[in-house]
Amino acid sequence: MKYSYFPGCNLKTNAKEYEHTAVEVSKILDAELVEMPVFNCCGTVHSMASDNTMRRIAPVRILSRSEEHQKELEDTNNTVVTLCSMCSSTLKVVNEEVKEDEEMLQKINWQLERDNLKYSGHSEVKHYLEILRDEVGFEEIVKKVKKQLKGMKVASYYGCMLLHPDKAKIDDSETPTVMETLTLALGAEVVDWPYFKTCCGSYHVVDKEDIVNNQILKITEGAKKRGANAIITACPLCAYNLDSQQVFLQKKGIIKETIPIFYFTQLMAIALGIKLENFEDHHVDPKPLLKSLGLI
Amino acid sequence: MAKAISMREKKEKLDTVTIYIMGQGYKVPSSLTIMKAMEYAGFKLKRGVGCRAGFCGACATVYRKLGDYKIYANLACQTKVEDGMYLTQLPFVPANKAEYNLDEIKPSASTMLRFYPEIARCLSCNACSRVCPQDIQVMDYVQYSLQGQIEKAAELAFDCIQCGLCAIRCPAEIPQYHVATLARRLHGKYHMIAPDTLEQRVKEIEEGKYEKGFEELMSLSEEELKKRYVARDFIDQKKA
Repeated sequence: MKYSYFPGCNLKTNAKEYEHTAVEVSKILDAELVEMPVFNCCGTVHSMASDNTMRRIAPVRILSRSEEHQKELEDTNNTVVTLCSMCSSTLKVVNEEVKEDEEMLQKINWQLERDNLKYSGHSEVKHYLEILRDEVGFEEIVKKVKKQLKGMKVASYYGCMLLHPDKAKIDDSETPTVMETLTLALGAEVVDWPYFKTCCGSYHVVDKEDIVNNQILKITEGAKKRGANAIITACPLCAYNLDSQQVFLQKKGIIKETIPIFYFTQLMAIALGIKLENFEDHHVDPKPLLKSLGLI
Repeated sequence: MAKAISMREKKEKLDTVTIYIMGQGYKVPSSLTIMKAMEYAGFKLKRGVGCRAGFCGACATVYRKLGDYKIYANLACQTKVEDGMYLTQLPFVPANKAEYNLDEIKPSASTMLRFYPEIARCLSCNACSRVCPQDIQVMDYVQYSLQGQIEKAAELAFDCIQCGLCAIRCPAEIPQYHVATLARRLHGKYHMIAPDTLEQRVKEIEEGKYEKGFEELMSLSEEELKKRYVARDFIDQKKA
């Protein structure tokens, strides 16, 4: 099985290791992520202005380009797969909106017409976690595990965009289980905690760092208090905030211990036997933990 | 006799078209380019004209055709006039050009964003690509720049002649063609291998191999220089 995969900007810049591990894992699971030949920015965060049409061109262009890509792929379905939870949310919301509002879809298609593109409204946007849960299945993942992640105590951090708004959620927004079940499938321990969707502070990291630091302090201390030794996420911005601000808090003497942040695909890669060497994206070094557990 | 005149009239009708330059109508021969037609109509072009061969990008022209809602744009020196063309010239496009030292920057998305933060405002409307007389996928190279895929951005933008039409059409006010220059410079410096011959020549210059020759030339009279210019050797490509 192959999927038309839309990377977005972050996976090519700040989260290269997320993409690399996801693509490698997808090959092993026969749910391969094949990158779209050309793609543009999703628009980052769906616009909620009173007239949204202009802001919808970018996401709908992606959907129409993916439809072209799906035609080229063998053994695929009508799905656009994302890894970034922000892209996932934006594309899902817009996809639902243009499906409901034919007039808006037509207006946007008139803009795409001269580029020989047209969106039919028949694609589905899915986050790779949904593919793993609904199309690959956790039992299949269990079968492919070569190295159980014994000793890893994982807190699953969803952030906002995987669970909100309703049009974009990939799981129950109050009691999600997809990342926890995945954690169990990989042989790691699940840490139950209340901060799974406490906001990371998002873009405030560029201008109001204090807001982000307060959030990160709450989230990471909360995870450690409940015995976690790792946090997993699916969002490059959450990962950046959780990771970089811990180092900042440590330098300021506010926290002593840090906790490594992983993309869920990194843990999958380790469990499925892919040799990982590059941890360049990380701010908190995850190697001491992985070495102590004999995982790298 | 009367018949002959009407034939000539008919022929004249076939061979001329009416174009509107900045709102004023002119009858011009249909075989001319926009640039030549403007000169035929009496305009003396000082700006908005350059190589007259489609390379320099100085003669951007924007036009509409009678009864057609679309905005067209092209190079005046490369486009033939059509009947009912309403056109205007864009000899210069105001766009900010960033200053940077290539030795101090890296080929990455953050470099592109540092010097041209506007690229983050791209709406992916693709108006830039549609207006490009070189048929460059302008929006895609802006997006590649955002994604840090500098090599792809540079390659996609290779044919740019900096006419600036993209920057004028952009709702996000991005100076695309300057973004492309930065991408190409970064790609050239950090990804491409400098040819041996170039490095050797630079070394020779630094070692002063050509100093003597230049000194000799500088000391010559104008007449002697002209004589030498006429008698200069060409490299025989077959032998070289």
